[in-house]
Amino acid sequence: MLKIQNLSKSYRTENVETTALNNIDIEINKGEFIAIMGPSGCGKSTLLNTIGMLDSPTSGHYWFNDEDVANYSEAKLANIRKHNIGFIFQSFNLIDELTVRENIELALLYHNIPSAERKERVEKVMQQVGISHRANHMPSQLSGGQQQRVAVARAVVGDQSMILADEPTGNLDTQHGHEVMEMLQELNANGKTIVMVTHSPAHAEFATRTITLLDGQVVEPALKAVS
Amino acid sequence: MLIYNYLLSGWRNINHNKLFSSINILGLAIGLAAVTLITLFVRSELSYDTFWKNADTLHRSHIVFKIPGRDPFKAVSAPGPLIHALKKDYPQVTQASRVASISPAIIVGAETFIQPVSLVDKDFLTMFDLTSLSGDLSNALNDPHSLILTKELAVKYFGQEDPIGKTLSLDYDYFKRDYKITAVIENSVSNTQLPIKALALIDENDWTDRTSLFAQWFSVNAQLYFQTKKPSDLDHINATFDDFSNRNFPKLPIGGADAKPSDFITLSAMNIKDLHLHAVGSGEMTERGNATRVFIFSAIALLILIIAIINFMNLSTARASQRSKEVSLRKVMGASRSNLIFQFLGESVLVTFIALAISIGLVEIALPFYNEVLNKELVINYASTDMLQITGLALIVGILGGLYPAFVLSNFRPATVLKANKSAESSASVKLRAILVVMQFAVSIGLFISTAVVYSQMQYADKMNPGFNKDNMLLVHRIGLDVVSEKLDMLVKEIGKDPQVTAITWSNETPGNTNQNNTMIRLPGMSKDDALLMGQRGVGYDFFATYEIKVLAGRTYQKERNDTPLATAQIREGANRKSSIVINSSAARRLGFNSASDALGQSIFTSRGNPNENLEAELEIIGVVDDVHFESLRATIRPEIYNLNATWGHTLSARFNGNPDTLKANVEAIWGNAIANIPFSYSFLRQDVADMYKTEQGQAKMFAAFSGLAIFIACLGLYGLANFTATRRTKEIGIRKVMGASVFDIVKLLLWQFSKPVIIANIIAWPIAYWAMSDWLQLFVYRIDNSYILLLSAIAGIGALIIAWVTVTTNSVSVAKANPIKALRYE
Repeated sequence: MLKIQNLSKSYRTENVETTALNNIDIEINKGEFIAIMGPSGCGKSTLLNTIGMLDSPTSGHYWFNDEDVANYSEAKLANIRKHNIGFIFQSFNLIDELTVRENIELALLYHNIPSAERKERVEKVMQQVGISHRANHMPSQLSGGQQQRVAVARAVVGDQSMILADEPTGNLDTQHGHEVMEMLQELNANGKTIVMVTHSPAHAEFATRTITLLDGQVVEPALKAVS
Repeated sequence: MLIYNYLLSGWRNINHNKLFSSINILGLAIGLAAVTLITLFVRSELSYDTFWKNADTLHRSHIVFKIPGRDPFKAVSAPGPLIHALKKDYPQVTQASRVASISPAIIVGAETFIQPVSLVDKDFLTMFDLTSLSGDLSNALNDPHSLILTKELAVKYFGQEDPIGKTLSLDYDYFKRDYKITAVIENSVSNTQLPIKALALIDENDWTDRTSLFAQWFSVNAQLYFQTKKPSDLDHINATFDDFSNRNFPKLPIGGADAKPSDFITLSAMNIKDLHLHAVGSGEMTERGNATRVFIFSAIALLILIIAIINFMNLSTARASQRSKEVSLRKVMGASRSNLIFQFLGESVLVTFIALAISIGLVEIALPFYNEVLNKELVINYASTDMLQITGLALIVGILGGLYPAFVLSNFRPATVLKANKSAESSASVKLRAILVVMQFAVSIGLFISTAVVYSQMQYADKMNPGFNKDNMLLVHRIGLDVVSEKLDMLVKEIGKDPQVTAITWSNETPGNTNQNNTMIRLPGMSKDDALLMGQRGVGYDFFATYEIKVLAGRTYQKERNDTPLATAQIREGANRKSSIVINSSAARRLGFNSASDALGQSIFTSRGNPNENLEAELEIIGVVDDVHFESLRATIRPEIYNLNATWGHTLSARFNGNPDTLKANVEAIWGNAIANIPFSYSFLRQDVADMYKTEQGQAKMFAAFSGLAIFIACLGLYGLANFTATRRTKEIGIRKVMGASVFDIVKLLLWQFSKPVIIANIIAWPIAYWAMSDWLQLFVYRIDNSYILLLSAIAGIGALIIAWVTVTTNSVSVAKANPIKALRYE
């Protein structure tokens, strides 16, 4: 599905250069559920953002579906992203002024999908994540767990093949966190490729493979034996 | 200490948010400057003639002649004999004086000046408290050989010498007299309808052959001021003026046997303080103001102030959520709500005072231009209460603008705010802000439409064919003075020789420089009671050809065909000779002819001489010319006849091509050689015609300037708001981008958000502007169609939308381009 080779990312602030990712090689196959772990500041989020094409690498290669996208323009990346990747964030990132239904529909709004089909797909996905009864509520009226379900629904409604989740359980209590993880696992079982950043070893257990980062480098590159 | 902390925090806030602060301060400064400028103007307009000691009991009489089938003729001057009747019939009238402004040649030694002199009655000096600089005013006008000069004229004529007792002569053209200077008075102030430069006594015996000045009931050539015992006497006089007219006016030659003078004449009187803004009619010595204009500009000032305050409130409340953390922390540390209100009010007053300082600079820069447009000498008097008033205004603006934000800010609940990720702003304040933006734009668009309509009407007046060619015409004035008119033939010949001159003529009146001279006209077989009142003008040979006025039928006066005028004296002698006449097409219609050519060869009778003489001249219509706008488009074209002035006129008109300055220099040289004592006076017809619309033009300029400012301030506010909103919406924009929205999608979204208020503002502004401006256009008989207002409204609306877009696009694009992950980072 994607292959990263010799990829580096550094940030320049005035005269200090910070290397967030240092010569990374990663390959992720279709249908995998990857957990990225590591201490704060090790480059997890940078890696996720790079995979999600929200950020461009400083050097190296990034093949996404056999296309080297490392040097693509922002508009081109946006187009690939739109059709292939869904996002889930730690802080949910729902739009406060839109209802649950509208927030989910947002993911289809920029895809030229007719309104009737949009409605249908939104209803379906709301049922899947069990949020239908809250369809007309505002995000602020929901609990954190419910908000994250909306975010999951939004990430899958576009039917993208890969889902990137940045600490999806970070703002949730144990029970709700567990629910979300089960939801992700189910999505993975249905064929979605999932890449998730997490701090929790317990939640990493849900993944099929864990990549650990330390100071911008992959320290445990070896494939975890699929048991 | 607390105050210091507030000031420090306030100052840092101003300093920290440079963009917001500059927008806030600049908007306020421009608003305050505009209000100050308009206030100076309005105050000056309201101050006219309020300074006279007797202002409450001084009044002026006005007259309206209601002529059947014509616009009424309104004058602020009065018939000469009215003064005597007024003093006789009204015991309430204690003193009265006519004021006739006449321009004689003033001969001082070898020099000659042309200067308006006010001829007054003796009461004048006790009615008006003039300030004497030298000489005894109480004895200054004891005889018709005394002259009072202002300091300005005394210095001009006699330099530094003591003028008291010196002599000079006044040549009235009709007679000449030596005067002795008896007093020098302070120069006339600018805020008066009675600008006095020189004063001499009226002696009716001097003018026995020119009865129109002081002796005729149907000529109005001098103003009449009178003083009453108490202010309320004015009401009694106004209420009884009709009876007074019927007692004193001679019977009019129109309306039949039963007609009363009050059927055709309305007298009225007005207090001197009201003259500048409320008097109506011709015959004023200096330009009048206009109450509507004062009202409109006061309203504009208020609107600009409101826009500026709205901006201030908008930007402050918009920024409120950014400061919510500070507020919450202060609250946690123990600040009370009133502490915080005090802090924020203080901040807004601080901002206002910075704006005030800038606005004073702006006013000082703008004043010279402003004065030029308004033809005034306005200044801020820093030593007077002006400063106090301006500071007071700033304080009020600061408090008004700061009040709402202060309450919003101080009302934040720390618990909610500090929990973060929650907008601290209530939806009510978002709504209020939207309403305020709509209001700002509605006002701006309304002002813009009004400006466009005024400007279009000016363009229309300028482009409209007045019936003559106003370009390339040099006018030479004062040719009616005896010393000049005896050399008229020679002047015409000499100026005609200039190779630049293609045609030349003379006349009593020229467009933009006219009199209300009327005469009774009747057709053969029509009784004198049914006679029609028509305008008359005196023109020389070649007048119509020189002015390029279209001849619809027949011919105009030609020297070669021996066209000569019929003198009244000849009719008195009983010669009963027939003469010829040229009329305009309105006159032909009014006389009942179906077409111009039908009128040719027909006779009409016109009254001549004094009304009691009952003289008539028979005139054969030899030509009918097109209707011509001698006056502004505010007046309907009247039916009129053109008498031949074979040898005399007030103004010489020369049509030319090539450089106007060369011609002017050449003509001036010819004048200088031929006429020694009279200064050369000229103008260009195009300018004279444009001057008829000077008031409207000044108004249009002021309108344009202030509506431009209003729009500018509104856009400043919009820019700040767009900037703020874009910042506030970064998270939303980030999410949308992650969901696949393109930069264009995002910009579209933001533009639409800011288009809505502008569109709603249009819906509010259009009907109001349409109503107000169609009403204004009624002032003009000849005017642009009302549908133009709609067209201009559409242009204004689209313009406002485009300006709004341009304003918000720049920062919308930069926000839309920003990388979404920045916005979506965890807290």
